[in-house]
Amino acid sequence: MSRLSVRGLTKHYGGIAALSGAGFEIDAPGIYGLIGPNGAGKTTLFDILSGSVPPDRGQVLLDGRDVTGFAAHRMARLGMARTFQECRILPEETCLENVLFAAQQKGMRATLVQLASRSQAARRAKQDEAMRLLALVRLEAYAHAPAEALSFGQRRLLEIVSTFIGVPDVLLLDEPASGVNPALLVTLSEFIRTMYAERPRVFMVVEHNMEFIMSLAGDIIVMHQGAVLERGTPEAVQASRLVIEAYLG
Amino acid sequence: MARIAPWLALLVLLTALYAMPHFAAGQPYVLHLLILSMLYAIPAVGLNLMLGYVGLVSLGHMAFAGFGAYVAAVLMVDVKIGFWSALALATLASGAAGAAIGVVCLRFRSHFFMIVTLAFGLMLYSVMNNWDSVTRGAAGFAGIPRPAPIAIGGESFPFGPLDHFYLLVLSAAVLVFALQRLVVHSDFGRILAAIRQDERLARARGVNALLYKTAVFALGSAIAGFGGVLQVSFLRVAAPASFSLAESINMVLIVIVGGAGTLSGPALGALLFVGLPEYLRAAQEWRLVVFGVLLVAITLFAPRGLAGVAAGLWRRISSRRAQAAS
Amino acid sequence: MDALLEQIINGLMMGSIYVLVALGMVLIYGVMQVVNFAHGVLFTVGGYLAYFFYTRLFPSYPLAVLLSMGSLGIIGFALERGVFRPLAGNLRNQVIASLGLILAIENLVVAIWGPNALQFRVSATDVLVPVGELRFSVQHLAIIGITLAMVAALGVFLKYTRFGTAIRATSQSREAAMVVGIPVERVHWSSFAIGTALAALGGALIGPLFLVFPQMGDAPLVKGLAAILLGGMGSVPGAVAGGMILGVVESVSTLFLPTDYRDSIAFVVMVAILLVRPQGLFGRRMRGED
Repeated sequence: MSRLSVRGLTKHYGGIAALSGAGFEIDAPGIYGLIGPNGAGKTTLFDILSGSVPPDRGQVLLDGRDVTGFAAHRMARLGMARTFQECRILPEETCLENVLFAAQQKGMRATLVQLASRSQAARRAKQDEAMRLLALVRLEAYAHAPAEALSFGQRRLLEIVSTFIGVPDVLLLDEPASGVNPALLVTLSEFIRTMYAERPRVFMVVEHNMEFIMSLAGDIIVMHQGAVLERGTPEAVQASRLVIEAYLG
Repeated sequence: MARIAPWLALLVLLTALYAMPHFAAGQPYVLHLLILSMLYAIPAVGLNLMLGYVGLVSLGHMAFAGFGAYVAAVLMVDVKIGFWSALALATLASGAAGAAIGVVCLRFRSHFFMIVTLAFGLMLYSVMNNWDSVTRGAAGFAGIPRPAPIAIGGESFPFGPLDHFYLLVLSAAVLVFALQRLVVHSDFGRILAAIRQDERLARARGVNALLYKTAVFALGSAIAGFGGVLQVSFLRVAAPASFSLAESINMVLIVIVGGAGTLSGPALGALLFVGLPEYLRAAQEWRLVVFGVLLVAITLFAPRGLAGVAAGLWRRISSRRAQAAS
Repeated sequence: MDALLEQIINGLMMGSIYVLVALGMVLIYGVMQVVNFAHGVLFTVGGYLAYFFYTRLFPSYPLAVLLSMGSLGIIGFALERGVFRPLAGNLRNQVIASLGLILAIENLVVAIWGPNALQFRVSATDVLVPVGELRFSVQHLAIIGITLAMVAALGVFLKYTRFGTAIRATSQSREAAMVVGIPVERVHWSSFAIGTALAALGGALIGPLFLVFPQMGDAPLVKGLAAILLGGMGSVPGAVAGGMILGVVESVSTLFLPTDYRDSIAFVVMVAILLVRPQGLFGRRMRGED
């Protein structure tokens, strides 16, 4: 059974077709790259997969289950985590708080129980893991600093690190390398590889930084004008004439 | 030492407040002012949870206080239920009304949310003012009783006397502020804070934002209703004017000036609102002019309100002390 | 039949006042994306200043109205520069600041002129004009006439003058307007000033008919809000249509609903429109806010 199945996704904004019949199947865990020129529909695809927007037409199946049109919070609870192109973190909270929040139970019943019992057990249980993750991206020194004090690259790392603590099954990383300086890129790349090695699952990474994605991903999906153009190994895709024309034309 | 200090200060404050009837014997005026301040502070806590911690600017908050007040009035006077049951039922009813109206209002964002809360507030006010058969209309609903005396250690403790009612309101206020702290420093509070800081992110991390916003709207309305019942029991009359748009605006002012999103903000704002004119000994209108200007100034220059200014001063003093010590 | 005609004309008159308020609000909203909740108190000040100029300065009603409009224009300019511009981008704080203004200004009016209603006697209210079997004061009809003239003037200004076009451009896209070289800051304060001047006109026109009192702007604010919601938040023709429709519906409703609930019509309209057709009659779909 395929892990993630995308079929015929179509989405219009105003008169513009952001997606026209985009589709692919992902059968096995792995790091998948999603590339394509601007306007190819990559972020729209992510928005639909993560539940931020519903598609006009098409289907999304997660482990065989139809999750088309599910709201963002439901997708999150089904094990789908994402980061944002513009990098979103909780600016007023500390780095540690940011990570712990991602781990926190969000269901109303569990929350009300915690309110009444004032139990800190769940938080304490996650504390060590949170600190370990922060250390993996060299942010442990900032654990108690407010997130807005971080540089943009560091915030990116914080955002990505936060997605891992919830132990998601499918991770959507939207341009994780953009705005990150080359030194931190190495840390980022290593971090993603380490996390994958710890627990192989489906990682999808939208990227413009070709060097970064080609060395990280094993399978590249190329989008163009709202649909999937080509798919293959990094070498095959880079050599493909179709892909080259799409970028140049 | 630093962690104990705030708790010690709080203990001293509470002791002083509970002992106030003794200190202020012969000056009922002081107790009267404190009661008024607390009757403003209680609904302000409800609004603080909505506005300060989640960012929902409701312009109809006092209408829920009025809803609770009138429900209790009808229960006590027409249905002849006792005060305590009426208080509980009215609080629940206000919460339910908040949930129902919240479901409608929360479909909208920013401006539109404010306008819909404004509209609902005006509608409720119109009902209070015009549904004469139930609410007694613009003239007000008179004859609301104080709570029946309770038995304490074999003695009867009536609530007619001012200092006895003061202790009741004080205990209610302590309860409400304790509840506020409980909510804020919990997983629930963290979710509220996340919604305020970045709702889209919160949703992506699994938060059903609409559900939580409705829940806090209901909670805030319930607290408002709770305060409303105490208010009309104190005054022994329920008047629509106490729950008008102007009062809802005053409530926003109290929360903002006191410090939105802080635990002590509602208390500071309410104290200032009630206490300042007495201090200035100025006419009612001038007090509100000053408040209006103060609100504008705070929005422009000190968005964290009085509590924020106080916290800032405290930080500067303690860092200067640390510097002097080193 | 006469009763209906009477209410329709009354409705057009009140509708005209609503239109004046709504026009100011829609202009400010269109350009600055801010709902100016303080519009009601500015309406009130307009009424009081007209009264002040008429009774203290010179007994010419038209002059008093013009002076009031001018004064409010200046006040609007000051408010935009001093309060709204520094808070630009932070909607919540702009609304809260306008609440502060409401408190300050409404109570300032009470502090200066007292809490009681004042009579603003003007000859136009005493002279009656026959319309069929009915009689209306000149003021009633003048309000309708002046408002229509204002709407026409504003329409011409927005459509055919350079600055008017600049205003329309800015309300569509601030960034694009800046790129094209439109003086966006000037557009902001002049829109605000025009808006407040229109509010003043409303207050100055209604004063002689219904007395001048500190809360006189409260209902017009709500009616103005309902009107722009009904017409569509960014739409000038919408504001005109919304105001007139609301005015007429309210007046005609008194023929079969208890007058106590007349004001509630506006509230119901507001909620109903938001639930059924949030962009109003003529509005554009709002940009998403996330």
